[in-house]
Amino acid sequence: MRRRSALTSVLMFLAPFAVLLVLWAALVPYFQVNPRLFPQLGAVVEAAIEAGRDGSLWAHVGASLLRVTVGTALALLLAIPLGMAMGVSPAVSTFLTPLFRFFSVLAGIAWIPIATLWFGYGFGAITFVIFNAVFFIVAYNTLLGVATIPKPLRHAAASLGARRWTMLTEVLLPGALPNIVTGIRTGLGFAWRGLIAAEMIATNVGLGYMLFVARDFYRTEVIVLGMIVIGVLWLLIDRLLLAPLERATIERWGMVQRA
Amino acid sequence: MNPLLKTWGAYVRLSSRWPAIASIVPFIPVLALWWATTALEIFPRVFLPGPAEVVRAFVDLVYKGILPEYLADSVVRLAVGAAWGIALGIPLGVLIGVSRSAHRALWPLLLFFQAIGDIAWLPILVIWFGYGLTTMTFVIVYTVIFPIVLNTVLGVRSIPINMHRAALSLGASRPRVLWEVVLPGALPNIVTGLRNGLGYGWRALIAAEIIVGTSGIGFLMFDARRAGSVVEILLGMVILGTLWYIVDSWILAPVERATGERWGLVTR
Repeated sequence: MRRRSALTSVLMFLAPFAVLLVLWAALVPYFQVNPRLFPQLGAVVEAAIEAGRDGSLWAHVGASLLRVTVGTALALLLAIPLGMAMGVSPAVSTFLTPLFRFFSVLAGIAWIPIATLWFGYGFGAITFVIFNAVFFIVAYNTLLGVATIPKPLRHAAASLGARRWTMLTEVLLPGALPNIVTGIRTGLGFAWRGLIAAEMIATNVGLGYMLFVARDFYRTEVIVLGMIVIGVLWLLIDRLLLAPLERATIERWGMVQRA
Repeated sequence: MNPLLKTWGAYVRLSSRWPAIASIVPFIPVLALWWATTALEIFPRVFLPGPAEVVRAFVDLVYKGILPEYLADSVVRLAVGAAWGIALGIPLGVLIGVSRSAHRALWPLLLFFQAIGDIAWLPILVIWFGYGLTTMTFVIVYTVIFPIVLNTVLGVRSIPINMHRAALSLGASRPRVLWEVVLPGALPNIVTGLRNGLGYGWRALIAAEIIVGTSGIGFLMFDARRAGSVVEILLGMVILGTLWYIVDSWILAPVERATGERWGLVTR
């Protein structure tokens, strides 16, 4: 019974897309839309098959995913410990909050011009942009998370004889975790956009590059294919990786009161 | 240690009286560090110019009239895009929130189109509309609208059903319920959505100006990149950060707090 309802809910989710595809397949030939303006469904499918067969699609997707993974991993490794360290002292955290807000506003796309100057066009510049987008937002959220842990919890742990390390692993880190995860989700959202923008400017492989080159040749079927790939990839990352992670941490640590 | 603590105490007292100070003073050490790094020439000056040069570039560009014009261009684009986003997003969000079948039909599409992301639309938009205001406005509207719609739906759906029932049983008509129950109830969420949306829209604007721009702060930065002038890039970044910081923390955040408190949804 449960399985069946899960299946119907998946079908319900997919039904609007089926309608959209049928409309696309019917309307574009009917109105004889210029393929330079908008492609037919068949052309996009052909482009997908062709790009899949000659391997260029996988190369673009792989390059984009690799950049995101490396940039994000580096950012998390640095941002979480730094955020924790700063959040422990209330004086330090109130002093630094405006700074981190300022830089998390700037994070991502605004760094593209200077990143390309510092690192040259290519892997370095793009990874730096992603690193930036994730680092400041996650550090800021970690700082906020640690700073908002209720004082009594820390006092209680301290008076029960918790050492610094125990305090860190049993009170501060778990308490800040919901904030950290929210920060990761927002940061990755910005990073993904920054990635596409940076790839349009600063490289010769990747999804953004694929879109931008197709524009030069008016190959709208490749552009639309790229957009669909970008959308599906992000939906998968967000729904299958980030949203469950966020839900799990928030529910685990009891921040949500269920009615 | 003692004089240090004393200064710290004075700073805390001062900043609690004028909160603006607390959001300016922390930048002083950063500026000093920046100045020191450039004065010691740790990095080549071409790669990292000092604060003084950035200020000089600022004065120069203001004097030539380029900066005010570009800044006005960017702000107007953002404002036009945001206005359209609000005008379209709130009704759509209310519709999806109120009607079950609209939710069923549109929600998955919304999630998918949000996932495509504004910037991926740029290439095809350039083909459709060329380089100009239409392309930029489209990108910003596209970016702003999703957080507004998603949050409005959330807000509408989080209104307790008893509120509807109470209003209806007191004889309110449907439009009246919409106006007096649904909209006010969803308002705090709508404002949150607006704030998020503008945050994304701001970034999208910069990206659009970098990639397809002919004017604006993003274009200023990328033009400087082409000419290899790091000073103007840094200037652009400082302006972007400062402007958004002011808009966000002095306008949007207080509005968000005010609506939240007004409608009693903040538990302190």
